[in-house]
Amino acid sequence: MIKLECASLKGLLECASFSMPEGDFCAVLAETDFDKNLFLRVLTGLTRLDSGKVFIFGKEISSITYAELGEVRKKMGVVLNRGGLVSNLKVWENLMLPLAYHASLSYKDMEEKMMNVLNNLGYNDDLNMLPGPLPTYKKKLLGLARAILTEPDLIIYDSVFDGLSSDIRNRALEAVNAFHEEKKGRASLFLATSEGSVKGLMAERVYVLKKGNFYERN
Amino acid sequence: MKTKRITESILDTTLYLSDLFNLILNAFKNLHFLKISPVRTVFFRQIYFAGIETFGKMVVIGMLIGVVIITQIINLVGLGSAVLTGKILIWVVVRELGPLLAAIIIIARSVTAISSELGAMNIENEIENIEIMGIDPSRYLIMPRVFALTLSAVMLTFYFELAAIFGGIAVTSVFWAVPFEQYSKGMLSSLTITELSVSLIKSLLFGMAIAAVSCSQGLKVRKSITQIPQATTRATIQSLFLVFIFDGIITFIFFI
Repeated sequence: MIKLECASLKGLLECASFSMPEGDFCAVLAETDFDKNLFLRVLTGLTRLDSGKVFIFGKEISSITYAELGEVRKKMGVVLNRGGLVSNLKVWENLMLPLAYHASLSYKDMEEKMMNVLNNLGYNDDLNMLPGPLPTYKKKLLGLARAILTEPDLIIYDSVFDGLSSDIRNRALEAVNAFHEEKKGRASLFLATSEGSVKGLMAERVYVLKKGNFYERN
Repeated sequence: MKTKRITESILDTTLYLSDLFNLILNAFKNLHFLKISPVRTVFFRQIYFAGIETFGKMVVIGMLIGVVIITQIINLVGLGSAVLTGKILIWVVVRELGPLLAAIIIIARSVTAISSELGAMNIENEIENIEIMGIDPSRYLIMPRVFALTLSAVMLTFYFELAAIFGGIAVTSVFWAVPFEQYSKGMLSSLTITELSVSLIKSLLFGMAIAAVSCSQGLKVRKSITQIPQATTRATIQSLFLVFIFDGIITFIFFI
Protein backbone atom coordinates (compact mmCIF):
# COMPACT_ATOMS: atom_id res chain seq x y z
CA MET A 1 0.00 0.00 0.00
CA ILE A 2 2.75 2.43 0.99
CA LYS A 3 6.33 1.97 -0.10
CA LEU A 4 9.27 4.35 0.04
CA GLU A 5 12.35 3.49 -1.99
CA CYS A 6 15.56 5.35 -1.13
CA ALA A 7 13.44 8.43 -0.43
CA SER A 8 15.36 11.61 0.24
CA LEU A 9 14.00 14.97 1.29
CA LYS A 10 16.19 17.66 2.75
CA GLY A 11 15.78 17.83 6.52
CA LEU A 12 13.56 14.71 6.75
CA LEU A 13 14.61 11.66 4.80
CA GLU A 14 17.99 10.33 3.66
CA CYS A 15 17.60 7.44 1.26
CA ALA A 16 14.93 6.05 3.57
CA SER A 17 12.99 2.87 2.90
CA PHE A 18 9.63 2.03 4.34
CA SER A 19 7.00 -0.49 3.44
CA MET A 20 3.47 -1.06 4.60
CA PRO A 21 1.58 -3.93 2.99
CA GLU A 22 -2.19 -4.36 2.58
CA GLY A 23 -4.07 -4.95 5.82
CA ASP A 24 -1.21 -3.62 7.93
CA PHE A 25 -1.71 -1.40 10.96
CA CYS A 26 1.41 0.43 11.92
CA ALA A 27 2.56 3.61 13.59
CA VAL A 28 5.39 5.99 12.81
CA LEU A 29 6.81 8.12 15.59
CA ALA A 30 8.54 11.22 14.34
CA GLU A 31 10.90 13.31 16.43
CA THR A 32 9.09 16.60 15.88
CA ASP A 33 5.71 17.85 14.66
CA PHE A 34 7.48 19.38 11.69
CA ASP A 35 8.92 15.98 10.63
CA LYS A 36 5.56 14.29 11.10
CA ASN A 37 3.73 16.91 9.05
CA LEU A 38 6.33 16.82 6.30
CA PHE A 39 6.11 13.03 6.11
CA LEU A 40 2.32 13.31 5.85
CA ARG A 41 2.73 15.83 3.03
CA VAL A 42 5.02 13.39 1.20
CA LEU A 43 2.48 10.58 1.56
CA THR A 44 -0.39 12.74 0.33
CA GLY A 45 1.58 14.08 -2.64
CA LEU A 46 1.63 17.68 -1.39
CA THR A 47 5.43 17.69 -1.11
CA ARG A 48 7.69 16.01 -3.63
CA LEU A 49 10.83 14.12 -2.70
CA ASP A 50 14.25 15.42 -3.74
CA SER A 51 15.04 11.89 -4.95
CA GLY A 52 13.71 8.37 -4.57
CA LYS A 53 10.20 7.03 -4.97
CA VAL A 54 6.94 6.93 -3.02
CA PHE A 55 4.42 4.28 -4.04
CA ILE A 56 0.83 4.49 -2.83
CA PHE A 57 -1.46 1.69 -4.04
CA GLY A 58 1.42 0.70 -6.34
CA LYS A 59 1.54 4.08 -8.08
CA GLU A 60 4.60 6.26 -7.88
CA ILE A 61 2.92 9.48 -6.85
CA SER A 62 5.61 11.91 -7.92
CA SER A 63 5.47 10.76 -11.55
CA ILE A 64 1.70 10.57 -12.07
CA THR A 65 -0.57 13.33 -13.34
CA TYR A 66 -2.63 15.53 -11.04
CA ALA A 67 -5.80 13.69 -12.09
CA GLU A 68 -4.22 10.31 -11.29
CA LEU A 69 -3.05 11.65 -7.95
CA GLY A 70 -6.65 12.67 -7.30
CA GLU A 71 -7.73 9.07 -7.95
CA VAL A 72 -5.11 7.81 -5.45
CA ARG A 73 -6.26 10.38 -2.86
CA LYS A 74 -9.86 9.26 -3.34
CA LYS A 75 -8.96 5.83 -1.97
CA MET A 76 -7.08 7.37 0.96
CA GLY A 77 -8.53 8.80 4.13
CA VAL A 78 -6.53 11.30 6.15
CA VAL A 79 -7.57 12.30 9.65
CA LEU A 80 -5.77 15.52 10.49
CA ASN A 81 -4.89 16.47 14.04
CA ARG A 82 -7.00 19.64 13.94
CA GLY A 83 -9.82 18.03 12.00
CA GLY A 84 -9.02 19.66 8.67
CA LEU A 85 -12.56 21.01 8.34
CA VAL A 86 -13.56 23.69 5.83
CA SER A 87 -14.53 26.80 7.78
CA ASN A 88 -17.27 28.07 5.46
CA LEU A 89 -19.16 24.77 5.38
CA LYS A 90 -21.53 23.65 8.10
CA VAL A 91 -20.57 20.58 10.12
CA TRP A 92 -22.84 18.22 8.15
CA GLU A 93 -21.62 19.67 4.85
CA ASN A 94 -18.04 19.07 5.93
CA LEU A 95 -18.82 15.47 6.77
CA MET A 96 -20.63 14.83 3.52
CA LEU A 97 -18.22 16.73 1.25
CA PRO A 98 -15.94 13.87 0.09
CA LEU A 99 -18.83 11.42 0.05
CA ALA A 100 -21.11 13.68 -2.01
CA TYR A 101 -18.25 14.63 -4.31
CA HIS A 102 -16.99 11.12 -5.09
CA ALA A 103 -19.79 8.67 -4.32
CA SER A 104 -23.10 8.32 -6.07
CA LEU A 105 -25.21 7.72 -2.99
CA SER A 106 -28.57 9.34 -2.43
CA TYR A 107 -28.79 12.15 0.12
CA LYS A 108 -30.86 9.92 2.41
CA ASP A 109 -28.27 7.13 2.34
CA MET A 110 -25.45 9.57 3.00
CA GLU A 111 -27.31 11.10 5.92
CA GLU A 112 -28.06 7.69 7.40
CA LYS A 113 -24.43 6.66 7.06
CA MET A 114 -23.26 9.93 8.62
CA MET A 115 -25.59 9.59 11.62
CA ASN A 116 -24.41 5.99 12.22
CA VAL A 117 -20.76 7.02 12.25
CA LEU A 118 -21.43 10.00 14.50
CA ASN A 119 -23.40 7.83 16.93
CA ASN A 120 -20.52 5.35 17.09
CA LEU A 121 -18.15 8.17 17.94
CA GLY A 122 -20.55 9.61 20.50
CA TYR A 123 -20.84 12.96 18.70
CA ASN A 124 -24.17 14.57 19.44
CA ASP A 125 -23.62 18.29 18.91
CA ASP A 126 -25.45 20.58 16.46
CA LEU A 127 -24.64 19.60 12.86
CA ASN A 128 -25.98 22.85 11.41
CA MET A 129 -23.32 25.10 12.86
CA LEU A 130 -20.09 26.25 11.27
CA PRO A 131 -17.05 24.41 12.68
CA GLY A 132 -15.15 27.55 13.76
CA PRO A 133 -16.39 27.80 17.38
CA LEU A 134 -16.08 24.05 18.06
CA PRO A 135 -13.38 22.87 20.46
CA THR A 136 -10.43 21.07 18.84
CA TYR A 137 -11.40 17.63 20.15
CA LYS A 138 -14.78 17.90 18.43
CA LYS A 139 -13.10 18.95 15.20
CA LYS A 140 -10.86 15.89 15.50
CA LEU A 141 -13.86 13.63 15.98
CA LEU A 142 -15.54 15.19 12.94
CA GLY A 143 -12.37 14.74 10.87
CA LEU A 144 -12.30 11.11 11.96
CA ALA A 145 -15.99 10.68 11.07
CA ARG A 146 -15.45 12.26 7.65
CA ALA A 147 -12.60 9.88 6.83
CA ILE A 148 -14.52 6.83 8.08
CA LEU A 149 -17.55 7.80 5.95
CA THR A 150 -15.57 7.46 2.72
CA GLU A 151 -14.51 3.89 3.65
CA PRO A 152 -10.96 4.28 2.35
CA ASP A 153 -8.58 1.38 1.68
CA LEU A 154 -5.77 3.27 3.35
CA ILE A 155 -6.29 5.56 6.30
CA ILE A 156 -3.67 7.83 7.82
CA TYR A 157 -4.19 9.28 11.29
CA ASP A 158 -2.25 12.38 12.24
CA SER A 159 -1.98 12.39 16.08
CA VAL A 160 -5.73 12.28 16.44
CA PHE A 161 -5.76 11.16 20.05
CA ASP A 162 -3.67 14.02 21.43
CA GLY A 163 -5.60 16.29 23.76
CA LEU A 164 -8.67 14.03 24.11
CA SER A 165 -10.14 13.14 27.48
CA SER A 166 -9.72 9.46 28.39
CA ASP A 167 -13.41 8.76 27.80
CA ILE A 168 -13.48 10.29 24.33
CA ARG A 169 -10.06 8.83 23.53
CA ASN A 170 -11.24 5.33 24.36
CA ARG A 171 -14.32 5.71 22.20
CA ALA A 172 -12.27 7.08 19.29
CA LEU A 173 -9.67 4.35 19.78
CA GLU A 174 -12.38 1.71 19.66
CA ALA A 175 -13.74 3.26 16.45
CA VAL A 176 -10.26 3.35 14.87
CA ASN A 177 -9.52 -0.26 15.74
CA ALA A 178 -12.97 -1.43 14.63
CA PHE A 179 -12.68 0.50 11.37
CA HIS A 180 -9.39 -1.25 10.59
CA GLU A 181 -10.93 -4.65 11.19
CA GLU A 182 -14.09 -3.84 9.23
CA LYS A 183 -12.64 -4.41 5.78
CA LYS A 184 -10.09 -7.03 4.79
CA GLY A 185 -6.96 -5.50 3.36
CA ARG A 186 -7.54 -2.04 4.79
CA ALA A 187 -4.25 -0.47 5.91
CA SER A 188 -3.99 2.02 8.76
CA LEU A 189 -1.01 4.23 9.43
CA PHE A 190 -0.78 6.25 12.61
CA LEU A 191 1.56 9.23 12.74
CA ALA A 192 2.57 10.67 16.10
CA THR A 193 5.44 12.24 17.98
CA SER A 194 5.11 10.54 21.35
CA GLU A 195 4.65 7.03 22.72
CA GLY A 196 1.53 8.08 24.60
CA SER A 197 -0.28 8.87 21.36
CA VAL A 198 -0.09 5.28 20.12
CA LYS A 199 -0.97 3.64 23.42
CA GLY A 200 -3.92 1.27 23.08
CA LEU A 201 -3.71 1.08 19.29
CA MET A 202 -3.64 -2.41 17.82
CA ALA A 203 -0.64 -1.40 15.69
CA GLU A 204 1.36 -4.44 14.62
CA ARG A 205 4.56 -2.50 14.20
CA VAL A 206 5.86 0.84 15.42
CA TYR A 207 8.58 2.66 13.52
CA VAL A 208 10.66 5.56 14.66
CA LEU A 209 11.57 8.18 12.08
CA LYS A 210 15.01 9.32 13.19
CA LYS A 211 18.01 10.81 11.45
CA GLY A 212 16.43 10.46 8.04
CA ASN A 213 15.41 6.81 8.26
CA PHE A 214 12.81 4.45 9.70
CA TYR A 215 13.75 2.05 12.48
CA GLU A 216 11.39 -0.63 13.72
CA ARG A 217 10.92 -0.45 17.46
CA ASN A 218 11.02 -3.72 19.37
CA MET B 1 18.64 49.71 -15.92
CA LYS B 2 15.37 51.51 -16.62
CA THR B 3 14.83 49.50 -19.84
CA LYS B 4 15.44 46.29 -17.90
CA ARG B 5 12.85 47.26 -15.31
CA ILE B 6 10.30 48.13 -18.01
CA THR B 7 10.96 44.82 -19.82
CA GLU B 8 10.57 42.88 -16.56
CA SER B 9 7.35 44.71 -15.77
CA ILE B 10 5.93 43.96 -19.25
CA LEU B 11 6.93 40.29 -18.89
CA ASP B 12 5.35 40.05 -15.43
CA THR B 13 2.12 41.61 -16.70
CA THR B 14 2.03 39.26 -19.70
CA LEU B 15 2.58 36.25 -17.46
CA TYR B 16 -0.09 37.41 -15.03
CA LEU B 17 -2.61 37.97 -17.83
CA SER B 18 -1.85 34.52 -19.27
CA ASP B 19 -2.43 33.06 -15.76
CA LEU B 20 -5.82 34.77 -15.64
CA PHE B 21 -6.64 33.49 -19.12
CA ASN B 22 -5.65 29.94 -18.10
CA LEU B 23 -7.81 30.19 -14.98
CA ILE B 24 -10.85 31.10 -17.11
CA LEU B 25 -10.02 28.43 -19.70
CA ASN B 26 -9.72 25.84 -16.93
CA ALA B 27 -13.09 26.93 -15.57
CA PHE B 28 -14.65 26.24 -18.98
CA LYS B 29 -12.95 22.83 -19.15
CA ASN B 30 -14.35 21.99 -15.70
CA LEU B 31 -17.85 23.28 -16.39
CA HIS B 32 -19.34 19.76 -16.51
CA PHE B 33 -18.41 19.30 -12.84
CA LEU B 34 -21.40 21.49 -11.99
CA LYS B 35 -23.38 18.25 -12.06
CA ILE B 36 -21.67 17.26 -8.77
CA SER B 37 -23.83 18.41 -5.88
CA PRO B 38 -21.18 20.07 -3.61
CA VAL B 39 -19.87 22.04 -6.63
CA ARG B 40 -23.41 23.11 -7.48
CA THR B 41 -23.90 24.24 -3.88
CA VAL B 42 -20.83 26.50 -4.11
CA PHE B 43 -22.18 27.86 -7.43
CA PHE B 44 -25.63 28.68 -6.02
CA ARG B 45 -24.14 30.22 -2.87
CA GLN B 46 -22.04 32.54 -5.00
CA ILE B 47 -25.07 33.41 -7.16
CA TYR B 48 -26.97 34.20 -3.98
CA PHE B 49 -24.17 36.33 -2.55
CA ALA B 50 -22.95 38.08 -5.71
CA GLY B 51 -26.28 38.24 -7.54
CA ILE B 52 -29.39 38.04 -5.40
CA GLU B 53 -28.08 39.91 -2.34
CA THR B 54 -26.80 42.71 -4.59
CA PHE B 55 -30.00 42.95 -6.62
CA GLY B 56 -31.83 45.51 -4.44
CA LYS B 57 -28.89 47.90 -4.21
CA MET B 58 -28.24 47.55 -7.93
CA VAL B 59 -31.84 48.49 -8.80
CA VAL B 60 -31.83 51.53 -6.48
CA ILE B 61 -28.49 52.77 -7.84
CA GLY B 62 -29.71 52.10 -11.40
CA MET B 63 -32.85 54.18 -10.86
CA LEU B 64 -30.89 57.05 -9.34
CA ILE B 65 -28.41 56.98 -12.23
CA GLY B 66 -31.33 57.04 -14.68
CA VAL B 67 -32.77 60.10 -12.91
CA VAL B 68 -29.40 61.88 -12.99
CA ILE B 69 -28.81 61.13 -16.69
CA ILE B 70 -32.29 62.13 -17.88
CA THR B 71 -32.14 65.38 -15.86
CA GLN B 72 -28.81 66.29 -17.47
CA ILE B 73 -30.03 65.38 -20.96
CA ILE B 74 -33.16 67.50 -20.60
CA ASN B 75 -31.05 70.38 -19.31
CA LEU B 76 -28.86 69.99 -22.37
CA VAL B 77 -31.36 69.42 -25.20
CA GLY B 78 -34.61 70.73 -23.69
CA LEU B 79 -38.05 69.14 -23.40
CA GLY B 80 -38.92 69.39 -27.09
CA SER B 81 -36.48 66.70 -28.30
CA ALA B 82 -38.07 63.62 -26.75
CA VAL B 83 -36.78 61.26 -29.47
CA LEU B 84 -33.22 62.48 -29.02
CA THR B 85 -33.54 62.28 -25.22
CA GLY B 86 -34.69 58.65 -25.42
CA LYS B 87 -31.85 57.85 -27.80
CA ILE B 88 -29.17 59.40 -25.58
CA LEU B 89 -30.57 57.64 -22.51
CA ILE B 90 -30.32 54.25 -24.24
CA TRP B 91 -26.85 54.95 -25.61
CA VAL B 92 -25.44 56.13 -22.30
CA VAL B 93 -27.09 53.47 -20.16
CA VAL B 94 -26.97 50.37 -22.36
CA ARG B 95 -23.73 50.99 -24.20
CA GLU B 96 -21.63 52.39 -21.39
CA LEU B 97 -22.84 53.07 -17.89
CA GLY B 98 -24.93 49.94 -17.38
CA PRO B 99 -22.15 47.35 -17.72
CA LEU B 100 -19.53 49.65 -16.23
CA LEU B 101 -21.38 50.69 -13.08
CA ALA B 102 -22.75 47.19 -12.50
CA ALA B 103 -19.16 45.90 -12.71
CA ILE B 104 -17.96 48.55 -10.25
CA ILE B 105 -20.69 47.61 -7.75
CA ILE B 106 -19.77 43.92 -8.13
CA ILE B 107 -16.11 44.77 -7.59
CA ALA B 108 -16.95 46.71 -4.43
CA ARG B 109 -18.99 43.85 -3.06
CA SER B 110 -17.69 40.53 -4.36
CA VAL B 111 -14.00 40.95 -5.20
CA THR B 112 -13.01 41.64 -1.61
CA ALA B 113 -15.23 38.80 -0.37
CA ILE B 114 -13.86 36.18 -2.78
CA SER B 115 -10.18 37.11 -2.51
CA SER B 116 -10.23 37.32 1.29
CA GLU B 117 -12.20 34.08 1.64
CA LEU B 118 -9.80 32.13 -0.59
CA GLY B 119 -6.82 33.81 1.06
CA ALA B 120 -8.00 32.82 4.53
CA MET B 121 -8.69 29.27 3.34
CA ASN B 122 -5.16 29.08 1.97
CA ILE B 123 -3.56 30.29 5.20
CA GLU B 124 -5.57 27.78 7.24
CA ASN B 125 -4.45 25.01 4.81
CA GLU B 126 -8.10 24.35 3.98
CA ILE B 127 -7.39 24.28 0.25
CA GLU B 128 -4.71 21.61 0.78
CA ASN B 129 -7.12 19.68 3.01
CA ILE B 130 -9.65 19.73 0.18
CA GLU B 131 -6.95 18.46 -2.21
CA ILE B 132 -6.06 15.63 0.19
CA MET B 133 -9.67 14.43 -0.09
CA GLY B 134 -9.12 13.99 -3.84
CA ILE B 135 -11.09 17.12 -4.68
CA ASP B 136 -9.50 19.42 -7.23
CA PRO B 137 -9.78 23.01 -5.86
CA SER B 138 -9.98 24.42 -9.39
CA ARG B 139 -13.18 22.39 -9.87
CA TYR B 140 -14.67 22.82 -6.44
CA LEU B 141 -13.62 26.36 -5.49
CA ILE B 142 -12.66 28.28 -8.63
CA MET B 143 -14.95 27.14 -11.47
CA PRO B 144 -18.25 27.75 -9.61
CA ARG B 145 -17.04 31.18 -8.50
CA VAL B 146 -16.03 32.19 -12.03
CA PHE B 147 -19.37 31.19 -13.56
CA ALA B 148 -21.51 32.46 -10.69
CA LEU B 149 -19.86 35.87 -10.79
CA THR B 150 -20.09 36.03 -14.60
CA LEU B 151 -23.77 35.08 -14.58
CA SER B 152 -24.42 37.55 -11.76
CA ALA B 153 -22.66 40.31 -13.72
CA VAL B 154 -24.83 39.67 -16.79
CA MET B 155 -28.08 39.56 -14.81
CA LEU B 156 -27.24 42.56 -12.62
CA THR B 157 -26.24 44.62 -15.67
CA PHE B 158 -29.59 43.80 -17.27
CA TYR B 159 -31.55 44.84 -14.17
CA PHE B 160 -29.37 47.91 -13.67
CA GLU B 161 -30.11 49.08 -17.23
CA LEU B 162 -33.81 48.36 -16.83
CA ALA B 163 -33.92 50.30 -13.56
CA ALA B 164 -31.97 53.23 -15.03
CA ILE B 165 -34.32 53.49 -18.04
CA PHE B 166 -37.38 53.14 -15.80
CA GLY B 167 -35.99 55.77 -13.41
CA GLY B 168 -35.38 58.14 -16.30
CA ILE B 169 -38.87 57.70 -17.69
CA ALA B 170 -40.50 58.00 -14.26
CA VAL B 171 -38.80 61.26 -13.41
CA THR B 172 -39.68 62.90 -16.75
CA SER B 173 -43.28 61.76 -16.46
CA VAL B 174 -43.66 63.00 -12.89
CA PHE B 175 -41.66 66.25 -12.97
CA TRP B 176 -41.91 67.36 -16.63
CA ALA B 177 -45.16 65.58 -17.52
CA VAL B 178 -43.72 64.15 -20.74
CA PRO B 179 -45.70 61.08 -21.88
CA PHE B 180 -43.82 57.80 -22.30
CA GLU B 181 -44.86 57.44 -25.98
CA GLN B 182 -42.70 60.39 -26.93
CA TYR B 183 -39.58 58.76 -25.55
CA SER B 184 -40.36 55.23 -26.67
CA LYS B 185 -39.83 56.11 -30.34
CA GLY B 186 -36.26 57.27 -29.74
CA MET B 187 -35.58 54.43 -27.33
CA LEU B 188 -36.84 51.68 -29.60
CA SER B 189 -35.00 53.06 -32.63
CA SER B 190 -31.68 53.08 -30.71
CA LEU B 191 -32.14 49.75 -28.96
CA THR B 192 -30.61 47.59 -31.71
CA ILE B 193 -29.03 44.15 -31.58
CA THR B 194 -25.61 45.87 -31.55
CA GLU B 195 -26.47 47.82 -28.38
CA LEU B 196 -27.73 44.71 -26.63
CA SER B 197 -24.78 42.59 -27.82
CA VAL B 198 -22.25 45.16 -26.65
CA SER B 199 -23.90 45.30 -23.26
CA LEU B 200 -23.94 41.51 -23.02
CA ILE B 201 -20.33 41.09 -24.20
CA LYS B 202 -19.12 43.75 -21.79
CA SER B 203 -20.92 42.27 -18.79
CA LEU B 204 -19.70 38.76 -19.69
CA LEU B 205 -16.08 39.87 -20.02
CA PHE B 206 -16.23 42.09 -16.95
CA GLY B 207 -17.69 39.26 -14.87
CA MET B 208 -15.04 36.78 -16.00
CA ALA B 209 -12.19 39.24 -15.49
CA ILE B 210 -13.40 40.22 -12.01
CA ALA B 211 -13.83 36.56 -10.98
CA ALA B 212 -10.44 35.50 -12.38
CA VAL B 213 -8.59 38.37 -10.67
CA SER B 214 -10.25 37.84 -7.30
CA CYS B 215 -9.67 34.05 -7.33
CA SER B 216 -6.08 34.45 -8.52
CA GLN B 217 -5.22 37.03 -5.85
CA GLY B 218 -6.93 34.95 -3.15
CA LEU B 219 -4.92 31.87 -4.12
CA LYS B 220 -1.68 33.86 -3.98
CA VAL B 221 -2.01 34.41 -0.23
CA ARG B 222 0.38 31.92 1.30
CA LYS B 223 2.24 32.91 4.42
CA SER B 224 0.64 35.47 6.61
CA ILE B 225 -2.74 36.93 7.48
CA THR B 226 -1.40 40.41 6.59
CA GLN B 227 -1.32 39.27 2.96
CA ILE B 228 -5.14 39.07 2.91
CA PRO B 229 -5.84 42.84 2.90
CA GLN B 230 -2.98 43.29 0.42
CA ALA B 231 -4.54 40.67 -1.85
CA THR B 232 -8.01 42.23 -1.64
CA THR B 233 -6.62 45.70 -2.44
CA ARG B 234 -4.65 44.33 -5.41
CA ALA B 235 -7.69 42.39 -6.61
CA THR B 236 -9.91 45.49 -6.42
CA ILE B 237 -7.49 47.76 -8.28
CA GLN B 238 -6.65 45.16 -10.93
CA SER B 239 -10.33 44.33 -11.50
CA LEU B 240 -11.13 48.01 -11.98
CA PHE B 241 -8.19 48.42 -14.32
CA LEU B 242 -9.16 45.39 -16.43
CA VAL B 243 -12.81 46.47 -16.57
CA PHE B 244 -11.85 49.91 -17.93
CA ILE B 245 -9.41 48.38 -20.43
CA PHE B 246 -12.02 45.92 -21.72
CA ASP B 247 -14.60 48.71 -21.83
CA GLY B 248 -12.31 50.84 -23.97
CA ILE B 249 -11.42 47.98 -26.32
CA ILE B 250 -15.05 46.85 -26.87
CA THR B 251 -16.32 50.39 -27.38
CA PHE B 252 -13.49 51.00 -29.85
CA ILE B 253 -14.24 47.79 -31.79
CA PHE B 254 -17.99 48.39 -32.04
CA PHE B 255 -18.42 52.12 -32.31
CA ILE B 256 -15.37 53.61 -34.00
